[in-house]
Amino acid sequence: MGSEMEPLLRAWSYFRRRKFQLCADLCTQMLEKSPYDQEPAPDLPVSQAAWILKARALTEMVYIDEIDVDQEGIAEMILDENAIAQVPRPGTSLKLPGTNQTGGPTQAVRPITQAGRPITGFLRPSTQSGRPGTMEQAIRTPRTAYTARPITSSSGRFVRLGTASMLTSPDGPFINLSRLNLTKYSQKPKLAKALFEYILHHENDVKMALDLASLSTEYSQYKDWWWKVQIGKCYYRLGMYREAEKQFKSALKQQEMVDTFLYLAKVYIILDQPVTALNLFKQGLDKFPGEVTLLCGIARIYEEMNNSSSAAEYYKEVLKQDNTHVEAIACIGSNHFYSDQPEVALRFYRRLLQMGVYNCQLFNNLGLCCFYAQQYDMTLTSFERALSLAENEEEAADVWYNLGHIAVGIGDTNLAHQCFRLALVHNNHHAEAYNNLAVLEMRKGHVEQARALLQTASSLAPHMYEPHFNFATVSDKIGDLQRSYVAAQKSEVAFPEHVDTQHLIKQLKQHFAML
Amino acid sequence: AAASSSDSDSGRAESNEANSKWLDAHYDPMANIHTFSSCLSLADLHGDGEYKLVVGDLGPGGQQPRLKVLKGPTVLTESPLPALPASAATFLMDQHEPRTPALALASGPCVYVYKNLRPYFKFSLPQLPPNPLEQDVWNQAKEDQIDPLTLKEMLEDIREKADVPLSVQSLRFLQLELSEMEAFVNQHKSKVIKRQTVITTMTTLKKNLADEDAASCLVLGTESKELLVLDPEAFTILAKMSLPSVPVFLEVSGQFDVEFRLTAACRNGSIYILRRDSKHPKYCIELSAQPVGLVRVHKVLVVGSTQESLHGFTHKGKKLWTVQMPAAILTMNLLEQRSRGLQAVMAALANGEVRIYRDKALLNVIHAPDAVTSLCFGRYGREDNTLIMTTRGGGLIIKILKRTAVFVEGTGEVGPPLAQTTKLSVPRKTRLYVDQTLREREAGTAMHRTFQTDLYLLRLRAARAYVQALESSLSPMSTTAREPLKLHAVVQGLGPTFKLTLHLQNTSTARPVLGLHVCFLYNKALYALPQAFFKVPLLVPGLSYPLETFVESLSSKGISDMIKVLVLREGQSAPLLSAHINMPVSEGLAAA
Repeated sequence: MGSEMEPLLRAWSYFRRRKFQLCADLCTQMLEKSPYDQEPAPDLPVSQAAWILKARALTEMVYIDEIDVDQEGIAEMILDENAIAQVPRPGTSLKLPGTNQTGGPTQAVRPITQAGRPITGFLRPSTQSGRPGTMEQAIRTPRTAYTARPITSSSGRFVRLGTASMLTSPDGPFINLSRLNLTKYSQKPKLAKALFEYILHHENDVKMALDLASLSTEYSQYKDWWWKVQIGKCYYRLGMYREAEKQFKSALKQQEMVDTFLYLAKVYIILDQPVTALNLFKQGLDKFPGEVTLLCGIARIYEEMNNSSSAAEYYKEVLKQDNTHVEAIACIGSNHFYSDQPEVALRFYRRLLQMGVYNCQLFNNLGLCCFYAQQYDMTLTSFERALSLAENEEEAADVWYNLGHIAVGIGDTNLAHQCFRLALVHNNHHAEAYNNLAVLEMRKGHVEQARALLQTASSLAPHMYEPHFNFATVSDKIGDLQRSYVAAQKSEVAFPEHVDTQHLIKQLKQHFAML
Repeated sequence: AAASSSDSDSGRAESNEANSKWLDAHYDPMANIHTFSSCLSLADLHGDGEYKLVVGDLGPGGQQPRLKVLKGPTVLTESPLPALPASAATFLMDQHEPRTPALALASGPCVYVYKNLRPYFKFSLPQLPPNPLEQDVWNQAKEDQIDPLTLKEMLEDIREKADVPLSVQSLRFLQLELSEMEAFVNQHKSKVIKRQTVITTMTTLKKNLADEDAASCLVLGTESKELLVLDPEAFTILAKMSLPSVPVFLEVSGQFDVEFRLTAACRNGSIYILRRDSKHPKYCIELSAQPVGLVRVHKVLVVGSTQESLHGFTHKGKKLWTVQMPAAILTMNLLEQRSRGLQAVMAALANGEVRIYRDKALLNVIHAPDAVTSLCFGRYGREDNTLIMTTRGGGLIIKILKRTAVFVEGTGEVGPPLAQTTKLSVPRKTRLYVDQTLREREAGTAMHRTFQTDLYLLRLRAARAYVQALESSLSPMSTTAREPLKLHAVVQGLGPTFKLTLHLQNTSTARPVLGLHVCFLYNKALYALPQAFFKVPLLVPGLSYPLETFVESLSSKGISDMIKVLVLREGQSAPLLSAHINMPVSEGLAAA
């Protein structure tokens, strides 16, 4: 039956059903029959349509939602020229974690990331990396990343995608960019838009895309907001954030679109102006009340600024509009878990399970919630399932690490020891497991081993205060006051409010003053 | 209500401009006076009712010691001193009229006594018997029986073994270079060996009357762990007492001829209390830290220690109280307001505060512009209650206590601590929680059984996985008793060249490990290593050995793989340890 269909319609249908490869193949066949040859004549509308369709299909194959997926490259982070104030006022910057502790649980309860923010319930590109303080931190492979490193340079990533698509078309590129006459195409708005997306997303040639966009916007006498947004996107990719901001603002004046708001907010976030971004989102909400992406953006910014209570409020707002929003459910769940309400968190995670999320992390969280909410019969089953669902070594390591916690909780140190060791077997960089193993060794009286483990833990994760503090305590016990003092000071830097560290430092100072 | 509020304001221990108890009489930050509390004294030196300030000034950097006498804000006279002053005191020598007090200044081994600001008498400490062995050695040197090198050796020998310390001359000789020795010996060999001690502290003690204007004895503390009491007129030694350590602060009470009590804080961190007829200490207070000041308030001894605290003791050595200070104590002195019968302790702190305490109660806090190093309170000029302070930078501050000022006790910290009133934010127990506890109550047994079964299964699973990991040496730590080792690997770089650092550590307590090898297993199509197998040096216990190697990524397709690191023992095929390194994707493609 399908063979009876008109080929263009069939290709269109493929495209609608997101079978892009089939669609592109079909278009290629059609174009071979009546070669378009990049010289569109007005009497050949069918081949022109096929050409557009193929361009769009190829674009869709490699298309990434740029609003969500954005990773700052190492060069952008280290050589950041856009920062305005080196020492921003509290609550106005994303770079200074811990500036805005508004009632959220402290570091002692909720673990933090390398950048000093509480870990989130949902793994987003920006939540795992943060901004590294030193070059050393920046070039080290972080624990949370396994497929691609979060600190990859953005240009590198886009180029890789481009090359990957090259491999699939052995006959050479579909459109030879160097031979395009941009001025001619810019005068055909419909064609130009498809061509632009192809150049930007498939070929990843930002400069050429920008040329095409500026010609087109000129042709449309600066009245088409779509082109302005595209120019802004190009500027953003090229790192010209102020120019991008201008374009997006001008586009917003002509036509208010959710996408434009999101792009502009992204620009502000990269310029480290979270307050402006928040205001922009709220302005957007006035136009589009209840828009989920805008609400979610606000919540994310609050979360980045360590204001977890406001973040939770906005996530709740998101759920009112869209009660299947995975990110919101997960974030609220983890928030409840770390604020000593595991039974509520359990509800949220169960909701995720009902929605069909079925992975290692979810079962891991469910197991932990069950254990801390005293629903013991479900605990170990959940972990068992999490283990069998673990896709890679790191996930398995996390599950074993949590099982170690359960074992410590029921007082079975032998099992705990095995679990932590297994966590290390699966992931040699699991600093928390090193730390906990050291505590167990310390209890057994193996001081040398404990110290070695703690040293490893603190070198793997200098942002954690626990290994520093434990090292200080061990050194203090065996009388090595000098090292104890040095480690205690490191612990104080990592977690200034930690009372035990302060006590230890005070005690050590007294020791030093004594005869 | 308004009155009470203003009352509580004025009662604040913090002194601000409007309701301060003090008048700022004089402040000169460039007065160039560098001294300590013990070298400050106030006295009516000319008998004209105008009190002057006597300062034993160390000079800037302790270079030019001087005796200064100040009248009001100006320096009246200034005379150089041969050595750094240790203490300054004024006392009445005799009963003659007019009753002008003499000024005593302890410096080096001597006490210089001035009257009417003219040198009057110089008292030197008696010489101590020199070490006969030392004497002997120098005699031999005199007769040229031994060369300077032998002399040096013998003197060093004496210094180490003998109980009696060496003389200044010998000590100076031991410091010299080889070339200077000959000349020094020639110059000094004919001199008699003298051994003299120096004065560390000085105070005055009434001779036989408790009156304000009665004659007083000088009490000296010396480096040779002795206390001496001198006659006020003849400057003969009336009494001699020995201590277990060198005294640094002295406090006295009573009269010499009747009954007296000497309290000496010593360098070994102890305070010794002596009575009239005791040659040795009667009581001993052992502090947990070095004393920085000693003040007697009525019958209570107040001691400041390096632990940033003040301690109160009875005169029998019983501890009464301890007050914690916000910063280190630099110096202490007594504040005596005769008109109101108040005695209090002033303590100058390193943060620039001067705190006034009566027992445990904080009476007043003065904020000085610089850290205060010496304090003195008493009659100055014609004003009864004057506080004189000198600062670390050589400044001079003079403050006058207002005649209306009353120190109110208990204005420091009263009532329960603030933390008691803050509310803890304990999360509410949710409805859900209550429901769950109900379930627990109903199905407790079943839940427990399920949990136990699962736990057994988990233990089995963990044990299996653990054994498997051990058998295949997957662990980054080895637990065998022979080679307790630990390994962790770090990858740095963006590619295509990565730096791989292995941190290998021997965690045994004492045994070094030898004969280890490191081997890398990797896909040759993807990576290239300069050395896939190398020897590990001897591992000393407790140190982390970073072993670095470079890894070149050969693939241009953005593929990454795992590299296995094995630590092997010579002659054994099974690895001791292994680490799996997930290599990051090479980012160097864009540049290539």
